Amino acid sequence: MPADAWAISSAVGGCSHGDASRPQRERSNESQDPLARGHMAGHSLGRIDDTLLVREAQRGNRAAFEELVRHYDQAVLRLAVHLTGSEHEAQDIYQDAFLKAYKSMSNFRFECSFYTWIYRIVTNLCLDHLRKKQVRKEDAPVAVDAQGEHYDVLAQVPDGRAGANPERDLMRRELGTRINHALHKLTPRERMVFELKHYQGLKLRTVGEILNTTEETAKNTLFRATQKLRGALADMR
Amino acid sequence: MKCEWVHENILLHIYNELPDDARYELEQHVARCADCAAELKAARQFHATISQFTVDEPPPNLMAASRMRLEEALETTEQGGFWQRLVFDPAAWLRPVKLAPALGAAIFIVGFAGGIGATYQVMNGRNPIELPAAAPAESSITGIQSISQQPGSSQISIRYNTVATQEAQGSLNDQRIQQLLLFATRNNYNSGVRMDSVDLLTQTPNDTHVREALLYALRYDSNPGVRLKAIEGLGSYVKDDVRVRDAVLEALVNDSNPGLRTQALHLLQPVRADSSVRLVLERLAESDENQYIRSQARNVLSQMSEID
Repeated sequence: MPADAWAISSAVGGCSHGDASRPQRERSNESQDPLARGHMAGHSLGRIDDTLLVREAQRGNRAAFEELVRHYDQAVLRLAVHLTGSEHEAQDIYQDAFLKAYKSMSNFRFECSFYTWIYRIVTNLCLDHLRKKQVRKEDAPVAVDAQGEHYDVLAQVPDGRAGANPERDLMRRELGTRINHALHKLTPRERMVFELKHYQGLKLRTVGEILNTTEETAKNTLFRATQKLRGALADMR
Repeated sequence: MKCEWVHENILLHIYNELPDDARYELEQHVARCADCAAELKAARQFHATISQFTVDEPPPNLMAASRMRLEEALETTEQGGFWQRLVFDPAAWLRPVKLAPALGAAIFIVGFAGGIGATYQVMNGRNPIELPAAAPAESSITGIQSISQQPGSSQISIRYNTVATQEAQGSLNDQRIQQLLLFATRNNYNSGVRMDSVDLLTQTPNDTHVREALLYALRYDSNPGVRLKAIEGLGSYVKDDVRVRDAVLEALVNDSNPGLRTQALHLLQPVRADSSVRLVLERLAESDENQYIRSQARNVLSQMSEID
């Protein structure tokens, strides 16, 4: 079964862990975890409950669905851009994910949060993409922009720190290239777990829900991914 | 605590995913174990290194372009296919009634009957039966609101709900009215409505469907008043219809209402010679919990022996 089909069927099947709560980000000690800031789940805090919007969208209210889209689409696009390294492909994943969600709204049963549901669809589309990419061995850390031109995705990472200088910027780019190369060596599943945990700052329990697996399995996958990355980047420490 | 456990959980410690007690234990262990302290330091260093590579928000132009493209696609996209609604929506629709077994069962029975009927029509190559335009489809009726008969008239008014409340008027012989009354006997939460419908149906117990509905009400209705009305309507058929006799016998043995059991006992008097009735009466006369039923059963049996 293709991953996208699995995404829909598993989403329709509901939440394996039966938790409808919104995922929580690690916020207790952000100074220790500087990456756990401002990513996808951060937008969910303080937001009005999605339930009413979902119910309206299920009744065919497109404005309600578009409101739901606006709650999550930035995070979806960010995840897709980071995982695919291509603005064009990320745009396709964004489009496919929300269209699938729109068509399947009537199947959403509130057995998990809408957040989990939409990310289940997105992550499965991304996993499908990563698997195809792995088969094609296209793991170069270059990206293709919307105009079809290649660029180094890490060269786009700005250095907003005071006192930044060209030499440091060059080092950062080199670091980024190495990290990205190491990330591409992970299996699609390891990459996804690491992405959701480290870069998106989700709790492992939520990662497990999104990937339709247990927290323990997500933990083990994260452990494996981290060990591989540490091995690949050992000389950088 | 073993070093192995610490090594496995250092990552969770760094990501603040350890419970407080485990976190405390890990910190205590690291404070006195040089190997684990070194591992924690290395893990933190790696975390700090990889954290230098951050993920930025998507460019505003890309965000805007993606939103516009999605909005265009949504303009031409239908929300859910017809088959999806057909397959999934009834399940959602049924969820609120899952705690109402009688209504749930009735809905399923209607559904299965409809399915079997449709299959039969297709197999025989016939066109579907067309109901009269004004006839309410049973599957569209959500409940009967009220039933009333005008004094001195044969006109009966029935208010029932479909998507919107509708009203049907006609005589008891009107097929539409009968259909609604039959529906009301089995599918209404309001026992008053069920009692009114059973009361009216007892006026035409010759109809097979009506008799079925009365038998159903006698056996399964939760309201003793409705069951009493049903047994009164069936009374004249105890002698000729074995199914009615069996249902009345069942009521005599099993019904929780003493008044209804007494009524059943009286109705069975004319057929006391029936072996089944006799056996039941003997058992009741011997050991029924209700003293009145015991004595009445003995009376009936004694009348029988006098005749014999």
